[in-house]
Amino acid sequence: MAVAAVHSGGIADHIHPEPQGFIRKYVFSIDHKIIGIQYMITAGIFMLLAGALAEMIRAQLMRANGGFMTPDTFNTVFTMHGSTMVWLVIIPLLTGGFGNLVMPVQIGARDVAFPWLNMIAFWIFPVSGLMLYSSFLMGAPAAGWTEYPPMSLQGAPGTSMWCAAIFLVGVGSTMTGMNFLVTILKMRAPGMTFTRMPLFVWGQFVTAPLLMIATTALGAALAALFVQREFGVPFFDPTKGGSPLLWQHMFWFYSHPAVYIMILPAFGMISEIFPTFGRKPIFGYKMIAFSSCAIAILGFMVWAHHMFTSGMAPQLQLPFMVLTMLIAIPTGVKIFSWMATLWGGVLTFSTAMLYSVGFLALFTLGGITGVFLAAVPFDLHAHGTYFIVAHFHYVIAGGSLMGALAGLYFWFPKMTGRMLNETWGKWSFWLYFIGMNGTFLPMHWLGLWGMPRRIAVYDPQFQTWNQIESVFSLVMTAGIILTFVNVLVSMKRGKKSGHNPWDARTLEWQIPSPMPYYNFKHIPSVFATPYDFAEPLPYRGLEEELTDSPPPVPAAH
Amino acid sequence: MAVASVTQAGIVGRHHEEPDQLYVETRELRVQGFLLFMVSDLVLFSSFIFAYLYLRNTGQGWPPPGAPKLDLALAAINSVILFGSGATMHFALENWKHEKFMKFAGWMVSTIVLGAMFLSGQIVEYGKLAVGWGSSGIFGAGFFTLTGMHGFHVFCGIIYLTILLLQAAQGKYTFQKYTGLTLGTLYWHFVDVIWVVLFSIFYLI
Amino acid sequence: MNETLAHVERILAFAGGIVVLFVAAVALKNDWKAKGLENQVFKMMLALLALGAFLAILASVNVLAGKGVEI
Repeated sequence: MAVAAVHSGGIADHIHPEPQGFIRKYVFSIDHKIIGIQYMITAGIFMLLAGALAEMIRAQLMRANGGFMTPDTFNTVFTMHGSTMVWLVIIPLLTGGFGNLVMPVQIGARDVAFPWLNMIAFWIFPVSGLMLYSSFLMGAPAAGWTEYPPMSLQGAPGTSMWCAAIFLVGVGSTMTGMNFLVTILKMRAPGMTFTRMPLFVWGQFVTAPLLMIATTALGAALAALFVQREFGVPFFDPTKGGSPLLWQHMFWFYSHPAVYIMILPAFGMISEIFPTFGRKPIFGYKMIAFSSCAIAILGFMVWAHHMFTSGMAPQLQLPFMVLTMLIAIPTGVKIFSWMATLWGGVLTFSTAMLYSVGFLALFTLGGITGVFLAAVPFDLHAHGTYFIVAHFHYVIAGGSLMGALAGLYFWFPKMTGRMLNETWGKWSFWLYFIGMNGTFLPMHWLGLWGMPRRIAVYDPQFQTWNQIESVFSLVMTAGIILTFVNVLVSMKRGKKSGHNPWDARTLEWQIPSPMPYYNFKHIPSVFATPYDFAEPLPYRGLEEELTDSPPPVPAAH
Repeated sequence: MAVASVTQAGIVGRHHEEPDQLYVETRELRVQGFLLFMVSDLVLFSSFIFAYLYLRNTGQGWPPPGAPKLDLALAAINSVILFGSGATMHFALENWKHEKFMKFAGWMVSTIVLGAMFLSGQIVEYGKLAVGWGSSGIFGAGFFTLTGMHGFHVFCGIIYLTILLLQAAQGKYTFQKYTGLTLGTLYWHFVDVIWVVLFSIFYLI
Repeated sequence: MNETLAHVERILAFAGGIVVLFVAAVALKNDWKAKGLENQVFKMMLALLALGAFLAILASVNVLAGKGVEI
């Protein structure tokens, strides 16, 4: 074919031989699809652990004077819950997991740019997760996931282990970021220009440099904390000329972009799901793509809005406040684009769609409270209260995690060739949605009333609402468990999905499910965005993908 | 062309090899990936440089009380040695491009020797300062952390270049396909250029 | 003894710095027209190398000397 001739001999026609044997196929695999699933399984296991820790927190907060565990244990529990969810669940799930599974196929490539690096990056992740949990054996970290000095300097020996483990996770993330960036820059199929890339690819494309740059900055902060704890190098010790504020600068310079690492891929996912289930082109393709870039760039300039109460010059507060509020503009552009996409569409409320709509509602709420917190006067009042907890759980549990669950229900047929059970899926959505709101909505007013976060006991007047929250947290957990059960059962018994159950238009749906190791028999060429539902598919060269013709021959070496 | 390669080939014969499409594309990927690695390494250095400058400007004035004096003359000669190694590295790659193996090897060896001289100079300087990493306050937090990190990079670079030289001698690279040597040169220049910044912030301001 | 050593070091640094500055400038001039991503980076690095050599020359004659150094 003419199409194949364009690329003959190049990297697009370079195919790894089919992996043989269990180990090469499923354990030390260099196939991006398997690695993506490995990320998801590992992140799923850590999510169960983090969920158990969350339920322990809620059990403690059932009563105003606690009693379920000691305050010290409580500190370690919420610290580990936060650290696990951020570094071992959400980030690996959205970048390493879905990014690996879908992104290379969506750009029409056979694999990522550096498959071996991809495998190494994955294997760093469970190892560092185990390291993090091994800190329980030596006295777990207890200063919250932000580990502010001086508390983290006085923490148990496990705090150093925490530094090392998070540093390692960061090394893996950096590798993934470099790998994805090069992949998207260099390995797109012919005709796949930047303005024809699916929006999920845009999400990964903007996330990759954030992963690469921000995570390395965090690595520096962790290394500094580690050497101060272990060798007494006084970066953060004011009695020897150091500064605890330095940690906050270094930490938030990473962790604010990290918030966007956790949300931009989810933006990409629901940008795929809305057009598919609304049968309508995405509204404002370029605006969605470029607003992601704006968010990423602004994200590096706003870190100090986490530090309004840490003592900062008032003339610095204003620019940080304004820049933070500016982020609401590109985010608002996205939200209105999605609403316009749904408007007038023929909507099918599958589970993936339900989760996406839930994402839209809850993320918007979390985003709006974010604008509240950007305002210095309000932040001075709400900082360190449950209002903060409510805000970031709406963004992360209501945004990122809902997005990941939407992606799971959407792409599960592509991973396994089987459908997830839709009835259970809808139950899981409603349980999760109701439980999530019941757990975190009351935290808004609890925070405004002055209930401080990260404290094991609290004023008795808050007890009723806390009990309501604890009950709803069980509902939320039930929703998550139902999804886990659904995955386990449907993997073997789900009904066969065929190659394209949703009638979706991006490239991964045009090849068989589960995807073959070579992805495409012929690399397709692309001549439009995938979202014009009135038009035929914008690809050439895909005729043989679903036929019985022999697979392509691996390159001889 | 092919004849010239054989006479200049050094230890092992090196045949002429036209770069194919796969090589050209893989080369682009590797160069780009390596540049991104350098960017993230740069961020690592930048973070510590930020930390140093932050501590320097928020404390009770600089130099902090009790900090040892740095030796500017030693640092100047040591810097020139390292920058010189950047120049010799440049000559090494240029000679490889012009298919002169022996000259390439000579310049590589000088680069490695200059790198080792720089490291020895660093060790001498550490010895003269005669204070510990943890006990020297924020002076040590800035100075030893950053120069130590840089020294580690130089150390890794010496090993890296040695491996490249051995591989080149064994015929792993041809005069047409030498991505690995390009990457090694990039790395060594990176280590040099970082030192320009470190030299300025520790000795010149 | 120590002062003599420092003197020698300064002279060497001055002379070496001029050589490196010259070499880097010539290399930069020769590479000026080279294309390709890595060559752009090489040019940038050669320029910074020249800057470094220049700074080292200034340091060797004490034009630039930081707060924490012994002159």
